[in-house]
Amino acid sequence: MLWIFQFIYRHHTLSSLFLTVILSLWMLSRSLDQQQRLSRTLMFSLFYPFQYATSMTGRIKNVFAENKKLRHQVAELAVRNAELEEYSAENARLNKLLSFKKDSPYSLKAAHVVIREPSYQMRSIVIDAGKEDGVLQFMPVVTQDGIVGKVTQVLRNLSLVQLIKDPSCRTSVMIKPSRAVGILETDEGDRYYIRLRSHEDVAENDTIITSGLGGIFPPGLNAGKVDLIAKDKNPLFKRVYIKPFVNFDRIEEVFVILLPPQWSAFQSEKDSLITEE
Amino acid sequence: MSTVLKWIAVFISCLVLQSTLMNAVSILGITPDVTVIALFLLAINHGSLAGLYAGFLLGLSQDLYSPSILGQQALAKTLVGAATGLFNVKVMRTDPLLRMFLLLLAFIFHDSIFLIASVIKNSSSLSLLGKELITETIPRSLYSMLLLLLLYAWSYFVAPFFKK
Repeated sequence: MLWIFQFIYRHHTLSSLFLTVILSLWMLSRSLDQQQRLSRTLMFSLFYPFQYATSMTGRIKNVFAENKKLRHQVAELAVRNAELEEYSAENARLNKLLSFKKDSPYSLKAAHVVIREPSYQMRSIVIDAGKEDGVLQFMPVVTQDGIVGKVTQVLRNLSLVQLIKDPSCRTSVMIKPSRAVGILETDEGDRYYIRLRSHEDVAENDTIITSGLGGIFPPGLNAGKVDLIAKDKNPLFKRVYIKPFVNFDRIEEVFVILLPPQWSAFQSEKDSLITEE
Repeated sequence: MSTVLKWIAVFISCLVLQSTLMNAVSILGITPDVTVIALFLLAINHGSLAGLYAGFLLGLSQDLYSPSILGQQALAKTLVGAATGLFNVKVMRTDPLLRMFLLLLAFIFHDSIFLIASVIKNSSSLSLLGKELITETIPRSLYSMLLLLLLYAWSYFVAPFFKK
């Protein structure tokens, strides 16, 4: 057996020639049907890898194109999704505002915050409601959470609102359970407090509402809740620190309560007295 | 390995050329056969073994793609490859003129085998063989020789000019 391999190795050209010629003659000797079958089998086995590679190249090319298109679509949808999320959040906010407006006994004018004071200590905002909307100076401004401030300046379509964060803004408030009245003040908008007589009954988490005695805010509007009770410099008083319900950094929509200040009825008499002097 | 790949590329190009461009340059229905020229050049440069395997695979490819009898081209090209390889450059020095004559012989040999196989398979008359050889093979071999002449002219005169 070994001598056959040795012979083939020694005469490899002749052996190859013999092999290929025999193969060719064998193919030639087949009938036409057999030749066609053999041809198809050979075509499939010899060229299938190339055809597969070619088709794969085409597919990969398509995948790349599709990937590029999908990336574009993903980017578009991400933007669209962000827009829809924003609309959804706005919708939730507006729903709250709407229910607040329905439940409120006062006539309200909804407005958007269009300008914020560009400082870390925001003391005022500008809203897109003015004289044409029936807004007057000193009208109270609220959100569904609580009081925000008062209108200090009115233009045709805009109004400047002084926030209760402003140290010069003082609001008459009341401890809801005990009905003890005090003035809501702030030192630079960081902390809000009321000075109450030492004997007044107050506890942490008590709700603070407007008293209606200041002439601007009607009584019963939410202002905040008691955060901490501390001693005052004057031993006859104690200092009640308040946490307001409104987050002033996140105000986007507000309501102006279309309620003129209580002293406006006396404004003409006051003006005539000044003229007489 | 690079030589093998180079020759594979040459043969694929020749197959494509033969089925496309060569029909456009036919004169009076005579078309040169670039596949035989390529096989001839391979066998002359690399010997009988390379020639016979290349001839077999090239012929088989043509048999698979053209509606001829399976094995006809394979047999013809195997024998031409093996025979031409006997005159390869390692064995004897051949000048371009002699090579062209060898190409003529290679064509006659190739077509003779091809036609004999066809005659046997189709049980046709042997007189067809002589007629085909004179009217088809000789003009085709002359046309192909012209192509080989142009190829040699390119490699001897034009290509060195570009190398400089």
